[in-house]
Amino acid sequence: MLHLQSSNLLIQKTFTEALEANKSGEPLTFDRIISDFDYTNFHVSNDPENKTQLFLSVRTKAWNSILNCDSNGSQGVLSYLAAKYTKLAGITVAGGSESGFDYTLAIDLNQLTGETIVQLSLLKTNIMSYPFYLAFQEFATLSTQNPTTTTVTVGRFNEETGNVSSIDVSSTLYTIQYRDNENMFIKPSNDRITVIFETFFQDETDKVFGKVFLQEFVDARKRNRDIQSAPQVIFSTEPPLELQNHLPKNNEVNDEASKRFITFVLFPRHFANDELQFKTVSQLTLFRNYFHYHIKCSKAYMHSRMRYRVDTFVKVLNRAKIDEDDEENGNTETKRTITGRKMVY
Amino acid sequence: MSYLNNPAVVMDNGTGLTKLGFAGNDSPSWIFPTAIATSQGNSTASKKMTTNSTSGSNVTGSGNPYFGNSTSATSFNNLNSSMLLSNNLAGKRGTEDLDFYIGNEALIASQGPSYSLSYPIKHGQVENWDHMERFWENSIFKYLRTEPEDHFFLLTEPPLNPPENREQVAEIFFESFNCAGLYIAVQAVLALAASWTSSKVTDRSLTGTVIDSGDGVTHVIPVAEGFVIGSAIKNIPIAGRDITLFIQQLLRERGEADTSLRTAERIKQEYCYVCPDIVKEFNKFDKNPDKFAQFIVENQEKTQKKVVDVAYERFLAPEIFFNPEIASSDFLTPLPTIVDHTIQACPIDVRKALYNNIVLSGGSTMFKDFGRRLQRDLKGIVNNRIALSEQLSGTKSTGVDVSVISHRKQRNAVWFGGSLLAQTAEFKSYCHTKQDYDEYGPEIVRNFSLFNMV
Amino acid sequence: MSQSLRPYLTAVRYSLEAALTLTNFSSQEVERHNRPEIEVPNTSAELLLQPMHIARSETEQVLIEPSVNSVRISLMVKQADEIEQILVHKFTIFLEQRAEAFHILRRVPIKGYSISFLITNKHTESMKTGKLVDFIIEFMEEVDKEISEMKLFLNARARFVANEYLGEFVY
Repeated sequence: MLHLQSSNLLIQKTFTEALEANKSGEPLTFDRIISDFDYTNFHVSNDPENKTQLFLSVRTKAWNSILNCDSNGSQGVLSYLAAKYTKLAGITVAGGSESGFDYTLAIDLNQLTGETIVQLSLLKTNIMSYPFYLAFQEFATLSTQNPTTTTVTVGRFNEETGNVSSIDVSSTLYTIQYRDNENMFIKPSNDRITVIFETFFQDETDKVFGKVFLQEFVDARKRNRDIQSAPQVIFSTEPPLELQNHLPKNNEVNDEASKRFITFVLFPRHFANDELQFKTVSQLTLFRNYFHYHIKCSKAYMHSRMRYRVDTFVKVLNRAKIDEDDEENGNTETKRTITGRKMVY
Repeated sequence: MSYLNNPAVVMDNGTGLTKLGFAGNDSPSWIFPTAIATSQGNSTASKKMTTNSTSGSNVTGSGNPYFGNSTSATSFNNLNSSMLLSNNLAGKRGTEDLDFYIGNEALIASQGPSYSLSYPIKHGQVENWDHMERFWENSIFKYLRTEPEDHFFLLTEPPLNPPENREQVAEIFFESFNCAGLYIAVQAVLALAASWTSSKVTDRSLTGTVIDSGDGVTHVIPVAEGFVIGSAIKNIPIAGRDITLFIQQLLRERGEADTSLRTAERIKQEYCYVCPDIVKEFNKFDKNPDKFAQFIVENQEKTQKKVVDVAYERFLAPEIFFNPEIASSDFLTPLPTIVDHTIQACPIDVRKALYNNIVLSGGSTMFKDFGRRLQRDLKGIVNNRIALSEQLSGTKSTGVDVSVISHRKQRNAVWFGGSLLAQTAEFKSYCHTKQDYDEYGPEIVRNFSLFNMV
Repeated sequence: MSQSLRPYLTAVRYSLEAALTLTNFSSQEVERHNRPEIEVPNTSAELLLQPMHIARSETEQVLIEPSVNSVRISLMVKQADEIEQILVHKFTIFLEQRAEAFHILRRVPIKGYSISFLITNKHTESMKTGKLVDFIIEFMEEVDKEISEMKLFLNARARFVANEYLGEFVY
């Protein structure tokens, strides 16, 4: 498996099962936990009275920070998700979210279709995509306000001097706190959208491996002509300029030292239409999982290499062993005790 | 650390089937064969790189073969193979280790020319660590979609698993996957814990005899206060596969329209039960023709139907546990006798408790009235012995209470027991964490403190 | 093989051959004990021989500590950068975890070295000395090769992974 899917296979399977059981006239009882990356948990349950009514609740670490992305409060993301889901057959937004969870959808099994199931399995991606959606919108307004392309240096310069009043760079920065020590930042401007990942490694080995991987992300685009049109990737150990006004300055402590920043620069061609937007967002939200997955795969592969090496070394060593038969034929003078043990003097 | 909220992952990798899921659920999320299909060196199949994850839309919704939870580790070769083979990584050198499938997908892929199928676990123990590591890798990232750094893991091991194997497991889970914490439990102990859901069980003790019957082999494992009495474990070479083959043989002898292994297995799962007495049961069948059943086999396109009669095999097939001579010529000891021998081989002070709590686990113990018959036969053996000893010694015995517990979670008892234990608040304190591992090395997993649930 | 590696290995080979003249030797201090004298704090200086230290560079060294009934050989494996350090560490830990299969591998290396072997008279009695030396030499060659192959693999994999990820953005 090379790529991680943006949809949750287990949600698909659970709802497919539910759908089939319902079709055959024996709806199943559900009370199941399903998990996803980055502290995301789902809960599938029945309506106590009506077994054809299912609830899918989600709780994700990123939820609070996503609510804060919108200046209008929590209504923005709720209506965004509602717009995405209520148009599908059989799905309504539950009155209140289940206790302990952030968001709940109600699903009517009698109207559920395969396509809807796929959309349900994309719930996490859809939640994560809300700040991106805001950024895309803001980009659209910014780019019409100022049709002449401004160079990067000007934009940066304004940032540096703290001259936020300039109209070509938006002052907004969307932050998604999707893990304990790692955040994702999205910054729209008039000709690009910058997505910055803060990465942190708990394990020493991962830190070193991660550095190799991240460096390759930066170099890949330069090296390979086929992917010239991919977003530009910048790697830094210091917070990029885009973030410097936003990050709290006071925490100049040791854990900062192991933080690294990966910046993806999205150009308009990466989010020209809805389909591309979805693709881009689902790729980006899986970025951290993707390269952590591959670090783990590399370690697994190294384990199998090392197992192979151990075998060959042991073989070489075993060649040194004196063959019992040889000894008996060639060297009959070895003194042995009556039980056949070699005499040790 | 906020992984406090994340459910623990429970993985039970058996010889035939793997059960994966999250603690707190009442059934495993995934059940599939412990099989891995790896690409064979220079595959001649399509060399082009195809990407498979652009969006979720290329996943067919319903009727997807790998969504199903298996009840069998056997491949029946009827799955749709075209959907997988387009997705071949082998075009790029040096990435062969990513090009593999596990579970039901492996069975499908292995039908193509470029993949070879292997089962990394043999007789309950991991044989091929390379394959197992990749099997886990895919289980975690594809099927469970979890970041192992955020979750605790509960794994199972067979009784008498060498400690070196545990260390290897720890090496993989902590070094490759950086999992937050790990607990390795003995399958039989988890099966005992699973029986606590039964209404018959009043005290939550970890003492009892576990009869674990899967596809390949049946074990009788005595457990005293959470410790397996290794010297007394007995194996019986009769299990699910033998019953299926026996049914198939009967169908063939009668010349039924369809005698495939798959049909035999369906008949086993749907029609078989354990009778109290074979002779009476034969009479009942002869007097009452309703007992005969008909099983209808449809081919894949649902165009043709074949009718297979189901006759005496309904009760004869499970009977081979109690009268092995009807199916086998080399193993002739009935299950109740084996259970009795097992318990008699244990220290005398735990024997009463072992008779008192006989727990069933595994798919092949699911036959109706299996527990009742076992209890009756075993009681007979025990009572005879007590009568004899009373006669010889002239004293009165206080009697031995034989009770066989069967419960609703029996099929995946091991997994369910793991789920029960892993959802308790104390679970994490019993685990070894990544920090412990980094500090002390793999040998820490040689010891796990037992759950003390009382 | 590079110019300086050959003489380095040859030096190690001859030193090892010279050192591997072991004899059975009962402990002078504890009755009925027979222990590798190199591993125990020793009061009798005559049991320990002169240790040999062979260095090719600052990061590639061998320390051979002979004694009357045992030889301890410690290797320092080349670690040019952070990645190689991690890889060497992983590899040696992995080997030491399986020390049982290697008979002569020490579970813990001597301080300052990557990996240590302990050859006692028991080993030279049950194995051919020449082949044991061959093993150590082959081990030294192969470890370097393996580490650099793993490093190459890591880079290649990282490149492949990055390419594939960014390739998803090409529409």
